[in-house]
Amino acid sequence: MHTDDLIARLAAQPAPKPLSRPRLGGAMALSMLAPVAVFLLVLGTRHNLVAAWSNPVVPFKTLLPLLTCGLSLALVLRLIRPEARVGAAVWAYALPLVAALALWVAAFAQRPPAARFAEVGVFSLAECLGSILVLAVVPVVVMLRMARRGATTAPTLSAALIGLTAASGVAAGYSLFCSRDNPLFFVTWYGAAILIVTGVSALAGRRLLRW
Amino acid sequence: MQRTEDPLATLLSAANAGDRQAYARFLHAVTPIVRGIVRARGGRFPPDQHEDIVQDVLLGLHLKRHTWDEAHPLRPWLYAITRYKVIDAYRKRGVAVHVPIEDYSDVLPAEAQADPLTLRDDRAEVDQLLAQLDPRAAEVVRAVALRDEPQAEVSARLQISPANLRVTLHRALKRMADLGRKDQP
Repeated sequence: MHTDDLIARLAAQPAPKPLSRPRLGGAMALSMLAPVAVFLLVLGTRHNLVAAWSNPVVPFKTLLPLLTCGLSLALVLRLIRPEARVGAAVWAYALPLVAALALWVAAFAQRPPAARFAEVGVFSLAECLGSILVLAVVPVVVMLRMARRGATTAPTLSAALIGLTAASGVAAGYSLFCSRDNPLFFVTWYGAAILIVTGVSALAGRRLLRW
Repeated sequence: MQRTEDPLATLLSAANAGDRQAYARFLHAVTPIVRGIVRARGGRFPPDQHEDIVQDVLLGLHLKRHTWDEAHPLRPWLYAITRYKVIDAYRKRGVAVHVPIEDYSDVLPAEAQADPLTLRDDRAEVDQLLAQLDPRAAEVVRAVALRDEPQAEVSARLQISPANLRVTLHRALKRMADLGRKDQP
């Protein structure tokens, strides 16, 4: 086809619907909130949530994933524009990362060897990892689909960030249910679940977000 | 602010608001710029593939035109999509390449290059190339490409479907380009 013919054909098509990043961000946030809300409505929050938060370690369980989620969502929305780069913003991850590592190391140092990994068992791992992985399915799928409307020029990175957003978002929600407050447990296994989702999403997005 | 300075941005802004004429003018204005970048960065492709890549880029711009944020300058958006599509073209054709992220504004716009066929003004050479095709394909090339007959008429006369005609023509031209290159020293 001659290029002028192509142009004539393209110009005859109706104007696109505008892409509103705030609305896209809102819809993405909703895709995480919905499964978490259903989960918490069915199973309830942990017993005595308010009292549990008086332990200074416990709020981190929710706040660190929430921070990671917000940061990643902002980066996902930024990368929707083809000319955008992540750039120095990636250093903001140092905050939740260092905090999580500090919690882990401090807990390791404080606890006697027998108490360190006492919670680790088939049931507790299945509950923690399983819940986060299952809860993350819907937001990852929804967000990848939404991101296809955008024009990321870094598909794998965008998809990884979508996985990170979704998994850390639902992990923050799940933490309101989870009653295991040992950082050696939650840092390790929330972290593992988040990394798994991030990796799977990156693999899926390599193809899905290409255009 | 940037928007009022760049006529392309004004055009795309109007186009995204529903002005089809502005959109056509935008695409026409952008094509030589894209062509220039493809020519500068696509050096490892044979020139007859350049126009395909230019069209890929135009299609990319078309499909993603809603992702340009009017609060941002247009050129970086335009260059990012062009760069992505040029790399994509290399990937599809199995060549790894590094296209530097630099401003393309120093690249001069390039005009459309003449068809490989019209470049060969030596009629005998064209005939010699046509003789190497099967007769039906040769007739298609003669009618459509050399005599400029309307495709509908040609397909009626030769009793092949319009889609089939286009495929035949495309393959024949490609084959001739290959043969022509082989002949050259």
